[in-house]
Amino acid sequence: MTAYGTEIIRDLIAGQLPWHQTKHIMSAYKDETRFLTYLKVVQDRVKWSDRILLPVGPHLFIVQSGHGRVTKCECGHDFGNYRRNWKLSALIHVRNDRESLREIYPNNDIPDPEWMEIREFLCPSCGTLHEVEACPPGYPVLFDFEPDLDGFYRDWLKAPLSEE
Amino acid sequence: MLRERLLESEELMRRTGCYDGVTELTLRQQDPLKFEALHTKLRAFCVSAREMARRISASPGVREVGEMVVAIYTPEGDAVALSNGIMVHVHTMSRFIKWMIREGYENDPGFRDGDIFANNDAFIGTVQVPDVMDVMPIYHEGILVGWAGAVCHELEVGGITPGGDVCLAQERFTEGLFICAEKVGQNDELRRDYIIRCERNLRMPIYWVLDEKAKVASCIEIREGVKSIIAELGLDYWKQVTKEFIEEGRRSQLARTRQLTVPGKYRAHTFYGHVTEGKPGFQPLGDPNWLYNIPLEMEITSEGKIKLDFDGTQPWGFHSMNCTPAGMDGGMFVTLTQHMNFEGLVNDGAWMATSLNLPEGTWTNPDNEQVATATSWALLLPAYGAFQRLISRGFLARGYVEEVFVGQVNSPMIEMGGKSQYGTRFGMAHFECAAAGSGALAIKDGLDTAYVGWNPESDMGNIEIWEQNMPMLYIGRSILPNSGGPGKYRGGCSFISTWLISKTDHLRLVTSEHSSRVFDNAGMCGGYPAPTCQMHRVVRNTNIDELVAKRQPLPHGIGTDPERSDLERLVLGDHETSEGPYITAPHKAGDIFTHAYNGGGGFGDVLERDPVKTASDVENGFMTRQAAEQVYGIVLIENRDGALEADLHATADRRERMRNQRLERARPVSLWLDQERRRVMAGDFAPEVRKMYRSAMRLSDRFAAEFRSFWGLAGDHEVADGGVR
Repeated sequence: MTAYGTEIIRDLIAGQLPWHQTKHIMSAYKDETRFLTYLKVVQDRVKWSDRILLPVGPHLFIVQSGHGRVTKCECGHDFGNYRRNWKLSALIHVRNDRESLREIYPNNDIPDPEWMEIREFLCPSCGTLHEVEACPPGYPVLFDFEPDLDGFYRDWLKAPLSEE
Repeated sequence: MLRERLLESEELMRRTGCYDGVTELTLRQQDPLKFEALHTKLRAFCVSAREMARRISASPGVREVGEMVVAIYTPEGDAVALSNGIMVHVHTMSRFIKWMIREGYENDPGFRDGDIFANNDAFIGTVQVPDVMDVMPIYHEGILVGWAGAVCHELEVGGITPGGDVCLAQERFTEGLFICAEKVGQNDELRRDYIIRCERNLRMPIYWVLDEKAKVASCIEIREGVKSIIAELGLDYWKQVTKEFIEEGRRSQLARTRQLTVPGKYRAHTFYGHVTEGKPGFQPLGDPNWLYNIPLEMEITSEGKIKLDFDGTQPWGFHSMNCTPAGMDGGMFVTLTQHMNFEGLVNDGAWMATSLNLPEGTWTNPDNEQVATATSWALLLPAYGAFQRLISRGFLARGYVEEVFVGQVNSPMIEMGGKSQYGTRFGMAHFECAAAGSGALAIKDGLDTAYVGWNPESDMGNIEIWEQNMPMLYIGRSILPNSGGPGKYRGGCSFISTWLISKTDHLRLVTSEHSSRVFDNAGMCGGYPAPTCQMHRVVRNTNIDELVAKRQPLPHGIGTDPERSDLERLVLGDHETSEGPYITAPHKAGDIFTHAYNGGGGFGDVLERDPVKTASDVENGFMTRQAAEQVYGIVLIENRDGALEADLHATADRRERMRNQRLERARPVSLWLDQERRRVMAGDFAPEVRKMYRSAMRLSDRFAAEFRSFWGLAGDHEVADGGVR
């Protein structure tokens, strides 16, 4: 059965594994132990002790905190209950005029701001840009991912989570 | 009877949950090596038949770019094995075969050894008119034991505008030559009257007719291979093993989903702007401008089944971008083969482990079979790009970061016709579009000029081959800087071609699948979308002969100033800049035309991008120095050799300032929502945006309820009608 050490997975996640090794991992049978190794790598990386239950972005995690399961930034910022869209607790910067769109696209054709705006969702503490939406004005904010966390741990990992 | 067998097979699937009632993989258990070796052999048959057939074709689309696929089917029309190439059609051909069976073709016109059936009707089973499919039954001692099938994408279909993706078609009657599940040959030969019909109804029949011969040759090759296998292994083994192959494909897909993703609900959206106002040729059958929203919700069940839902999208329209359920199925199939079926057997079983909700009346499932689907890729590709982002969120959550992919983009086609450089009438689709930029990965940049979703074996073809087939000469084919969406890992860059029209006084150029006014893709996890609402820049009546005589610089692209292109800087003449589909008066020798393809979306926060890699990007034309500094905060300096390198200290300082600036100018989402709600209440949007909301709310109770709930609107609130603001 395929398996990789923590260092290899750490470098892979960081985009620092040499290409020939990355390519080998892409072409080989998938390692069944990946999720647990992945959790260990990201848990070792963060400076807080809440247990990471599921990474949902490069710097965004669903964790078991003292007050339930919450979405948390790598810097430690708490976005609240994971069942509520974390974006609603974020900071936002909206690019909805030509000048602000030009900042990101200085040399290319840009959208008509009447038809499309660019929304940047940021961590209020560290300023990390966690997600970008490109949509017409007035479009409801997207709740990208609502994992079935209990089902995942219970049915797929065979390691049920304790009551929330 | 075959029709009863098909119904029985579907009933067995319903009753047992397994393909054709195959609950045990008996042959696989008895001799797994024999089982696997046979599937590999069938796949080799398909790959080999496709390669052979490409040598028969006259079309650079098939010969150079590989726009062809070959597959083997069960008697009921389920794919057992397939070649590489345009795999989207493996499942659309399945629909074609099943359609003939359901319509009683076994009796009339009858199935016989050596028959050839063709189809390019998307409501029967294909994506668009240029995707012409041929299937031939395979018999063993008088018993139908399967089908061989092949598809080529035709470069000319005889529609209202030249080429294959007939941009101007607003109903099916202007899309070109339709072959509606017809018996076009017998005794292994194409019928003469069919060939004559093709020759008299196409602008460039040599492409279609030789592609037909190529497909027939590949089907015969497959058929003979299958017959030799049955002679060796026996008919009973063949009948059972093909079913087990499909059931094993279904089980593999479920297992891959459970292995690579996380159960739950995933959401994404993408948009497409269709602007035809003032463009010649479009009939006033509906609003000329249309903003399409394509929301996707995906559920992954605890069983591992993927359910994809298009509820909330726009209705079909009098344009060429509608799609049929066959095309939507095909999009799902080709995406799964690329991203999840890297282990196990690849066949129709994968598709059976998924389900699609295609609301009736939307562009995904028109309730009118007279609509045009000639450029259905315009909406199909962005939609399945969003699907790629959905499954990638699952891969990311599970830790398989090397599989995360921001997705495919539209790669706009250029079609042409008129008088060729040889003085003859001609028509062609230019297929260099089969090499766009890809979305980024979660661990590296996207592929530059090397990916399209419909054919992962991406190729733009050689310039010299294209120049042999059209009255245009390349004066530039170059990377388009910054065309990949910004991100820690940027999207793959696209390219732009610049042509000098040559040796013709009548060249019609038409393009499609260029979104107007909105980007039709997205980034992921902080990455930005690629800039995909690109304009066409053209010069007529140029002074190019004078420039050449005086040995002055020629433009090789549009440059990096969107307000003043290199064409405007270097060439005198009548300059035009136009958005969306390009359709205008014919060109003549001496005119210059540019056409840009699309890059992919980015992944991750731009402030984390590697400065050293970025210096290399700027040196090699993938990014401008201005974007490196302005977007990524990366300060570049020239070293002693004159090459650019990153100033790491200055970069760190600049990024710190940018991060602080982000926090200073951003505001809490709650405050922004309060302000936006007032705008939503007033319906203070462009008419096309208002129309998009009204259409989506009218077609989808769920979209309407979620829209009203999100903004705290009354249960009967409607967005104000379109019109002048």
